[in-house]
Amino acid sequence: MLIFVAYLPGMRVLKNLFLLVCLSLFFACKPGVKTGEIAVNDFFKSQDRALYKVSPDGRTLSYLKLQDNLQNLFVEDIASGKVTQVTSLEGRGVRFYLWVSKNELIFYRDQPLHSGAEMYIVNKNEGKPRKLSGDPKAKIRVLEDQLIDNKFLLVASNKRDSTVFDVYKLNITNGSLALAAKNPGNIAHWIADSDGRLKLAIASDGVNETLLFRESENAPFKPVIKSSFKNTLVPIGFAGKKGLTIYAISNINRDKNALIELDMTTGKEKRVLFYSDTLNVVEGQYSMAKAQVEYVVAETWKRQKHYLNAEAKAFYGKLDELLPKTELKIMARDKNENVFVLRTFTDRNPGSYYLYTADQHKLKKLADINSSIREEEMCEMKPVSFVARDGLKVNGYLTLPQGSRKEKLPVVVLPHNGPRSRNGWGYDAEVQFLANRGYAVFQINYRGSDGYGKQFMTAGFKEWGKKIREDVIDGVNWLVAKKVADKKRIAIYGTGFGGFIALNCMADNPELFVAAASNSGVVNLFSYLKSIPPFWKTSLQMYYEIVGNPVTDVDYMRAVSPVFHSDRFNKPLFIAQNAKDPRVSPGETIQLVKELKKRNIPVTYLEKDEGSFLEKKEEGRKRFYAALEQFLKENLKK
Amino acid sequence: MIADKTSGYRKNFLLIITFIVLISVLFILSLFLAFNFSNKYIENEFGSAKVNVLEKTIGPYNDFFQNKIPEVSYYNGFLDSATASKFTDTVLLKYPFVSKVVFYDSEVKNEPVRDGINASHFSFGPKAIYQFGSLVPQDSIKLFSYDNTRSFSVGDDFNAIGFKLVSFVESLDTAKAPSQDELFANFSAIRTNRITYLNIPRREDLKVYKEMMKRKLASLPVYQQDMLTFQLDPYKIRIVNSRPLLYQRIRIEPLTYDPIDASDNYLITEIALPGPFSDYKLYFQSSRSFIKKEVFSYFLPIALILLLVYAVLMLVAMLIYRNLNINSKMFKLQYDFITNFSHEFKTPVSVIKIAGNNIRSASSLTEREQKHYGKILDEEADKLNGLMNKLLAFTQIENKSISLNQEEVSMREFIESTIESHTLKHSDFEMSYEVSGFDKFITDPVLLGSLFDNLAENAYKYSNPGNKKLHISARLVRGRIVLRFADKGIGIAAQDLEHVFKKFFRIQNQYNQQGSVGLGLAFCKELVNFMGGEIRVKSKVNRGTEFIIVLPYINT
Repeated sequence: MLIFVAYLPGMRVLKNLFLLVCLSLFFACKPGVKTGEIAVNDFFKSQDRALYKVSPDGRTLSYLKLQDNLQNLFVEDIASGKVTQVTSLEGRGVRFYLWVSKNELIFYRDQPLHSGAEMYIVNKNEGKPRKLSGDPKAKIRVLEDQLIDNKFLLVASNKRDSTVFDVYKLNITNGSLALAAKNPGNIAHWIADSDGRLKLAIASDGVNETLLFRESENAPFKPVIKSSFKNTLVPIGFAGKKGLTIYAISNINRDKNALIELDMTTGKEKRVLFYSDTLNVVEGQYSMAKAQVEYVVAETWKRQKHYLNAEAKAFYGKLDELLPKTELKIMARDKNENVFVLRTFTDRNPGSYYLYTADQHKLKKLADINSSIREEEMCEMKPVSFVARDGLKVNGYLTLPQGSRKEKLPVVVLPHNGPRSRNGWGYDAEVQFLANRGYAVFQINYRGSDGYGKQFMTAGFKEWGKKIREDVIDGVNWLVAKKVADKKRIAIYGTGFGGFIALNCMADNPELFVAAASNSGVVNLFSYLKSIPPFWKTSLQMYYEIVGNPVTDVDYMRAVSPVFHSDRFNKPLFIAQNAKDPRVSPGETIQLVKELKKRNIPVTYLEKDEGSFLEKKEEGRKRFYAALEQFLKENLKK
Repeated sequence: MIADKTSGYRKNFLLIITFIVLISVLFILSLFLAFNFSNKYIENEFGSAKVNVLEKTIGPYNDFFQNKIPEVSYYNGFLDSATASKFTDTVLLKYPFVSKVVFYDSEVKNEPVRDGINASHFSFGPKAIYQFGSLVPQDSIKLFSYDNTRSFSVGDDFNAIGFKLVSFVESLDTAKAPSQDELFANFSAIRTNRITYLNIPRREDLKVYKEMMKRKLASLPVYQQDMLTFQLDPYKIRIVNSRPLLYQRIRIEPLTYDPIDASDNYLITEIALPGPFSDYKLYFQSSRSFIKKEVFSYFLPIALILLLVYAVLMLVAMLIYRNLNINSKMFKLQYDFITNFSHEFKTPVSVIKIAGNNIRSASSLTEREQKHYGKILDEEADKLNGLMNKLLAFTQIENKSISLNQEEVSMREFIESTIESHTLKHSDFEMSYEVSGFDKFITDPVLLGSLFDNLAENAYKYSNPGNKKLHISARLVRGRIVLRFADKGIGIAAQDLEHVFKKFFRIQNQYNQQGSVGLGLAFCKELVNFMGGEIRVKSKVNRGTEFIIVLPYINT
């Protein structure tokens, strides 16, 4: 998720959301599969309709539809139900899009990683996309989806210097860019208000972030509040029409995130809207029309809404009545906040998309995320916690396979990717797939994971392969002591940093695991730091603190990087990566595999075709998970 | 070829002797060839096994080259003097042939450097140079730094890699990913006794390098590159003599080494070392007497196998000879049997002939004469019939073509009737008997009768007149019937004892000049075997013979 974080720094709320969308990008049209083993493909099918949005005027519904492995943009008139195909692309499909007016949409096409962005504008009635930007080196992103003077769009681009983003006014008629604000070099993020005025900026020196504010576009930016990256300070939106205070999710001077109102002239907290010692705010539902936050979502073991006013409670309470016993997320809405796209999910159900029209109190189902999945065949995800050797409480989730047997099960330990992320409660295709194959799946929110407060997060800094690994080991020992796990049949599998943890656990505690699998796993912390792209240079110091400083922590980084320790692996390994993935060093992984093979360690090496973590294409996912299934079967079903 | 035709049976002893001589010649010949082969083989081995020695000897170097050197890249340019020192310590410890490591903590810049290489806007120069090694004194570890450049000039090694880097970046096609081999080749330089390696930058960095060469980038980027030169000492390579019996001495010598005193007493071969050691070779030397041992150790198992084959062939020859011998004896026995048998037939036949003649030539026969001739004819016909029956029965039993009758027999009555019939025939035959432990049992009375008659007949025949005695005892011992026929006869010599039950065997003495075919005891043995029992004989010459028959005891 590196790149995405780069786009939306600090806004982990959105990142989590994207993660969820990512994990549930699966859809199938073949219903009614037998009980027992469900085909790999049913879990990992591509979703054929995704990214539902509503036009600003609330009259048109839009979505991406998969055609021949390619996503194209479609719109549907809500009143008449008439569907129009807006794009008919070849080669590369639409990756992302947004509405900029009631008729016009901007979309990005799929691009190889670390290359520039290709941005187009299209009129929903005319089709005929027009290219606005196609600089192969420069990235471009829309800051505010509101047209200024009907032809300008506020965008950020690193076209002048690949390491920093400046703000430009993009003329959508001819695609010309006019510099609106030059980045002095330390501005990591620009934030505009709902009218497209650039009023907020976040400057970063790598470790500390400074929130800058200006009252009008003519005034200079003034620093308002400075905080370390260990703190969270995420602006949610402007409070009131005056625009002198903002709502923000903040944990400055607190352990957990609270929703506060921040005075931008003084930098002081004006009021605390929601705070609890035990609840961590991850999301604030901001109403642009009312310029206020209506509810916050706090996440403990699962996400829970807390309404901030009676009006909101009445409004959204109706939704909870319409869709009971399921989690609910607002995916999109129109400007008047009348037409909503909703998504439901539970731990055993990937969920569906719904269209909700508030004034008519009408709910319409749009599509299932994955119609191949039947809720009764899926397994329950239960929150668990254990105490690590140093007394820290660590949370996680345990998903037991269906069936009467609840003891001595083969276990797949699934450490999540990182840094700074977590496992949450909800439908997870990978987890359900493994559980369906008869394995208990154990997810651990090891220290350093997001969502358990500042202390818990910083406790994981520079502990990769050390205390983080110990947390996983302690968790596994706890599971063995609880008699859930069959001590002789435990495997560990992870993606990205999860793969790093899996390899570390295998190298240091080979007595505990029979096999380890790493999907695009980090094998070398030095290379990981090197892989941070230049335009994200401002965050480098932060990564030095989280992961390790390659100048001062060489010994630690060497000690925990698996690539240096091929001699410490003695059990079967599964290693998958995309050799063209710029985020990892493919050569190093191949070298590791070679050395292991020379030592006659059974290694399954799978080269993925595209994508970093999850293969973009359905066939690729199927190939990967079939290989993983085979590998786990060989080692766990003995 | 002379064959012993006297018996009508061919005994080709000459053939056997020829055979033995031939295989012996063959054996000696093959030994000779095997030895020659071993000699040639070992000489060839001497020439070819050096590859194995080279492979084993160079193994640690390959490990160093393929696994340890690429590790420099894992640090991604983050090596500093302290880390490099630790890294080289492990290298020096594990690979004794590395004598010194020079570490160039270098930078790739967009601005010209004073020491190093400048190619258009692309510059590559060292920040500091360190050397590590067991013989490097503490005060000369740091060779070069920005502040103090006097003590060292950026030398050959640095330039070699520098030029490579510049030309690689210049010709880099950023559109396609260079292969690992290509990268390795371009970021390492192998020269005599030294390997220089520069950490391989990421593909993204290489793209920036390319840009840097074209123009000055606004941000004036600086990239860290680690370069290490490993100085190698070929003489420190640990030679692994995997064939200590083949190679007496293996040394590392310069490629030009070629001593003139290499006399004929020594076998010599050599093989060049690879990579940075290519100016050196492995020099193998063994004295001829040393090689001999290896030849013998190779020849010995071959010789043993040949000897084994030879021994087996000799054994086969011997067995064939033995079988021939036995067969010839058998042939003789059968020949004797036919002679005896015809003799046996002759007597009654001539008696019948004479009686017939007399009857024909007599004009009239008195009643007495008629009775007399009738009796003679009748008796002699019986005799012939008996002979025929005996022969027939024997063949039948031998072929197992008759079946056992199962009847209840009283042992006492049976023996008494046997005694009665024999004393009636021979009035001077003294017979006694005893039965204990049982009386009635199930058997075939006809076969049992034949057995008793034969043994009684034998006892009478082979006893001196006046001492013709036979004691028959029947006992039940451990569930089996044990019959003993003990006489006071002439006995059987020890060397003949084992043959008495063989077909057509007769002991040559005055007692069996006529009326014996050598079938009696063989017949008895066949009978007993047929009845599921066994027969043994004990005898002492002039004291008597005892036949012991053990039969299964079957009762109702």
